[in-house]
Amino acid sequence: MEIKYFSQLKSTNQKAKELSSKEAKPWLVVVAEKQTAGYGKEKVPWFSPQGGLYFSIILPKSKIEDLQTLTILAAWISAKVIKDNFNLEPLIKLPNDVLLNDKKVCGILTENVIGASTCSAPTLSRVERVGKDVKSSVIGIGLNTNIEKFPKELENIATSLKIELGKEVDNEEILKKILKGLKKQLKTISE
Amino acid sequence: MRLRINIKGKPYDIEISEEEGKIKIKVGGKEFSFGREEEEKTSIAKTSLPKRNFSKKEIKAPVTGVVSKIFVKEEEFVKSDQKILILSAMKMENEIISESNGRVKEIRVKENQSVNIGDVLIVLK
Repeated sequence: MEIKYFSQLKSTNQKAKELSSKEAKPWLVVVAEKQTAGYGKEKVPWFSPQGGLYFSIILPKSKIEDLQTLTILAAWISAKVIKDNFNLEPLIKLPNDVLLNDKKVCGILTENVIGASTCSAPTLSRVERVGKDVKSSVIGIGLNTNIEKFPKELENIATSLKIELGKEVDNEEILKKILKGLKKQLKTISE
Repeated sequence: MRLRINIKGKPYDIEISEEEGKIKIKVGGKEFSFGREEEEKTSIAKTSLPKRNFSKKEIKAPVTGVVSKIFVKEEEFVKSDQKILILSAMKMENEIISESNGRVKEIRVKENQSVNIGDVLIVLK
């Protein structure tokens, strides 16, 4: 699994999508130390200062149903890594947010590019056809790891592992554990 | 002459013969004759096929979700690979791109509208 590190990006999802369109291989991981325009669903900004873990993965071509399942599983994997390694009690807010003490600690956003074919394909079921139309997919994960302080407007809705634990965590180790879990899960659901 | 052809994975046995200046083609128990005398029948057979408007191209929802953003306007010319709209589903953002060139004839959805898989979103011509 190739990992590309950047000191700063506007958005890891945006970079991954850009690389994906240039025929980058599946499972290429884009990591940024900070994002200047990180976003979640409907382009809602994601607070992404230095210290957090922000990464996006170019996924192999999959059926859209499998990608939906993977998005939910990504939340479960992230929560499991937090629970198993730091003895914290994360809560998954379906479909894809992870909370600690009712505050958001992790968010996931999957973005697909789908070709809207205008031809009819009567011999293929909708599911088969949709699977063939997914041109590229990236899944982005933002995990508030070593963030010391949030702006006033986020203080009551966001937290970090550092705030909850009172100590720093190893971003690299967390990244590898989440990647390992995602790869295993996608293989399972695709079979 | 006997032939076996495969159309979309389904095999068809075909028998072609020539009798009295006519070409006869048998497919799955049905016989079709082609010749001067048969021109009228052939023409009737053609007109009885369901009409399809090949100049109209419909962009359908590939997944059930909510239209969160529309990037095109009616009468706009879109190119292949151009971003048409964003369809959000289960927190996945699906960027729908056109796979053909054409002019936007009709936009059948609005932003924030829920759509089902297969619903027509945009009509190109």
